[in-house]
Amino acid sequence: MARPRLTSLTRLFARVGVTVFGGGDPTIAILQREFYRRKWLSPEKFAIAFGIARLTPGTNVLAFCAASGWYILGSLGALAAVLAITIPASVLVVWLTRAYDLTGHYPLALSIANALVAAAVGTMVGAAVLLVRTQSSSGRWPRPIVIALGAFLLAYVLKLSPLQVIGAAAIVGFFWVES
Amino acid sequence: MNLAVLYLLLVKATLTSFSGLASLPVVRTDFVVRRHVITDRQLNTAVAASRIGPGPLGIYVVSVGYLVAGAPGACVGWLAMITPAFLIIPMLRFLGTRAEHRRARAVASAVLFAGAGLMLSAAAPMARDVITGPLSLAIVAASFVLIAVTRVDSLWVMLGAAVVGMLSFLF
Repeated sequence: MARPRLTSLTRLFARVGVTVFGGGDPTIAILQREFYRRKWLSPEKFAIAFGIARLTPGTNVLAFCAASGWYILGSLGALAAVLAITIPASVLVVWLTRAYDLTGHYPLALSIANALVAAAVGTMVGAAVLLVRTQSSSGRWPRPIVIALGAFLLAYVLKLSPLQVIGAAAIVGFFWVES
Repeated sequence: MNLAVLYLLLVKATLTSFSGLASLPVVRTDFVVRRHVITDRQLNTAVAASRIGPGPLGIYVVSVGYLVAGAPGACVGWLAMITPAFLIIPMLRFLGTRAEHRRARAVASAVLFAGAGLMLSAAAPMARDVITGPLSLAIVAASFVLIAVTRVDSLWVMLGAAVVGMLSFLF
């Protein structure tokens, strides 16, 4: 895996922090793609960061950022990742709180935000495909497809919480080991 | 309100939840119902600002801090939001080399695939809300293709969507 400079890592997290709309899931989707594209984080470490972040109290995506930053550049990487993804976005949200309180609505901002959420939806579906595809070497596709589809059904149809879905996947993964 | 108390109340709310807006009932109880330092309308504004803006939905606690105590309150809210994130580091340290075990790797890969399913399940309701016509459908489709098929930087996908959103409002 490539080891980036602290400034490059900070720049990526800051950029994602202010350009990704729609909450934590699209943020993780974008980060996952950018990590793979830059070869900063292996799929195994991404999986651990993703899974453990769901078990961490608070905002999951921030725990995910701390974990991925830690894997990439140690404690300094974790700190830089969390600060970079939250500080610019926090400044923006305070400004939006003031603006929203003063005027109520900003139709232009809402139109842009809706377009960005639409892009986030496409990104999330694309990232899900990438997650499965990068791990599905020839002849080994049933495990990724079955687990991903099962997780989708458990979360979307049976309304299980992400924590429960991750737990179920961990049990399946423990017993379904490919040679 | 004292900033230390503000921090403790907000960090209590974030520490007792496992996703962005899950802390909302605790925040409402402490700040609106018990202490009357903000109103329901202000709390709604904080949530609305976090939904309109970028970043995680849990960022609304920064707005709550701002509404309670101005700029210093926003800083305290930000600190309360990021504090729990660092709890993950000792957990990763504990995992350490145990994560290299064959069965641990199998569990990790299963969690990864489940992550793909969870991402789809999170995208589905968002898609239902946001796809309101051919334009939004085209944005979703174009972003999907660009992310899944090409190696284009995601920044351009987001900036392109923002420009389309702006043009669709203006024309």
